[in-house]
Amino acid sequence: MAGYLPFHDRNVMAMYKKIYRGEFRCPRWFSAELTRLLSKLLETNPEKRFTFPEIMENSWFKKGFKHIKFYVEDDKLCNVVDDDELESESVESDRDSAVSESEIEYLEPRRRVGGLPRPASLNAFDIISFSQGFDLSGLFDDDGEGSRFVSGAPVSKIISKLEEIAKVVSFTVRKKDCRVSLEGSRQGVKGPLTIAAEIFELTPSLVVVEVKKKGGDKTEYEEFCNNELKPKLQNLTADDVVAEPVMVSAVDETETAIANSPPVCFLPSDTE
Amino acid sequence: MEQVSSRSSSLTVGEQFCAVFIPFFAIIDVLVSSVGQCFDCRSTSPRTCQHADLERLARESQFSVNEVEALYELFKKLSCSIIDDGLIHKEELRLALFQAPYGENLFLDRVFDLFDEKKNGVIEFEEFIHALSVFHPYASIQEKTDFAFRLYDLRQTGFIEREEVQQMVSAILLESDMMLSDELLTMIIDKTFADADSDKDGKISKDEWNVYVHKHPSLLKNMTLPYLKDVTTAFPSFIFNTEVED
Repeated sequence: MAGYLPFHDRNVMAMYKKIYRGEFRCPRWFSAELTRLLSKLLETNPEKRFTFPEIMENSWFKKGFKHIKFYVEDDKLCNVVDDDELESESVESDRDSAVSESEIEYLEPRRRVGGLPRPASLNAFDIISFSQGFDLSGLFDDDGEGSRFVSGAPVSKIISKLEEIAKVVSFTVRKKDCRVSLEGSRQGVKGPLTIAAEIFELTPSLVVVEVKKKGGDKTEYEEFCNNELKPKLQNLTADDVVAEPVMVSAVDETETAIANSPPVCFLPSDTE
Repeated sequence: MEQVSSRSSSLTVGEQFCAVFIPFFAIIDVLVSSVGQCFDCRSTSPRTCQHADLERLARESQFSVNEVEALYELFKKLSCSIIDDGLIHKEELRLALFQAPYGENLFLDRVFDLFDEKKNGVIEFEEFIHALSVFHPYASIQEKTDFAFRLYDLRQTGFIEREEVQQMVSAILLESDMMLSDELLTMIIDKTFADADSDKDGKISKDEWNVYVHKHPSLLKNMTLPYLKDVTTAFPSFIFNTEVED
């Protein structure tokens, strides 16, 4: 807004002194209200500094402010208003964004079969890339690996189970194809607990469910996973479920091989 | 007479003070300068990165000079986690990725091997930057494809053989909670090779890999680290040492 930094000096030590003392000057064209707001934001005493609710209440801030509801999907900020095709980054709500905007993933092409979400198919190399050793993001964050498990339950059942789990703990659910995002409402230091679950197809009758923490506190995530998510989803896999036949666009011979092969994984009740 | 003798036999208080304390100060001075040198040694690792080096590395990679400086902070942190010598050893990389320095991991070995251009068993800063540059979101798809190919080519034969894929998938399943039968495993690998190995020779050549990746871009998912675009915010302490404002 001013066109220059509030604390700046060629000499690093002098700059730090200014920061420490909270010494800065606002340009002449700033209104009195703005200057007051800024001095409350750049308050050196953390106890006295403005908090987000106070910022939201400030009269200067409220002028022309549109409260945009947003959520995170595919690691991008998405506007609730224009949901369908357009995904826009909310600008004004940036200040209450608890999620890093730097996470960008490749958008994978999704196939839709008559409205039913169809999971992306995994090949051997996809499975290989699940390895923690190949995932260098561990050098930068210690959010920990997600967990993955195999399930014989149909995709729709897994998704509805996730919705059920979310309902119990009053989490918001966002679905897009085979990605389900559960978002808590409790604001923590790192934002609300956000968990992303994605379903991939391993074979026509088996899927891999990948669960990852996308935001929030690590301990809270682990507790939730171990107490709520995993037990309920694992129980689902042990249910006597008849796998729905899902058409795979792979080579024909292998399809028949799959259809004819005996139950192949650890799930005792998987029938084909 | 009396004055002369008093002058020669008794020193003034100031002079007495000096006489007593000068040796003291001398000792303290020596201590401080030698200890100070120790701290100097600490902050300069065996091969200190001079600013010219940092600029060259920035030019050769996808990073700006500030980003290279920030990565240097990360490098310093990693390289002294177990053996404080300014070089990343395999245990230190393992510690960073797995939070444990022990254990065998096929993938870690491959990653370490690819980072270690000189094959001298350690990763130097230059090698660190060169390899990480491939993971930058702005690095070319071809670079990433090539790097991934070399990663998966376990025996470095120039081809990704079926046995290598088998070995890697089995290793993954051991690592994770997924359990699959041998039949299912074979089937998945069959399907993959049917798709990727166009000349059906049982191995995937570089060209076949290029085509395959083009069809399945998600295979390069691990080859991009979005964090690299914001590395200066992750390691802001580079500001202490920077000489450049990007």
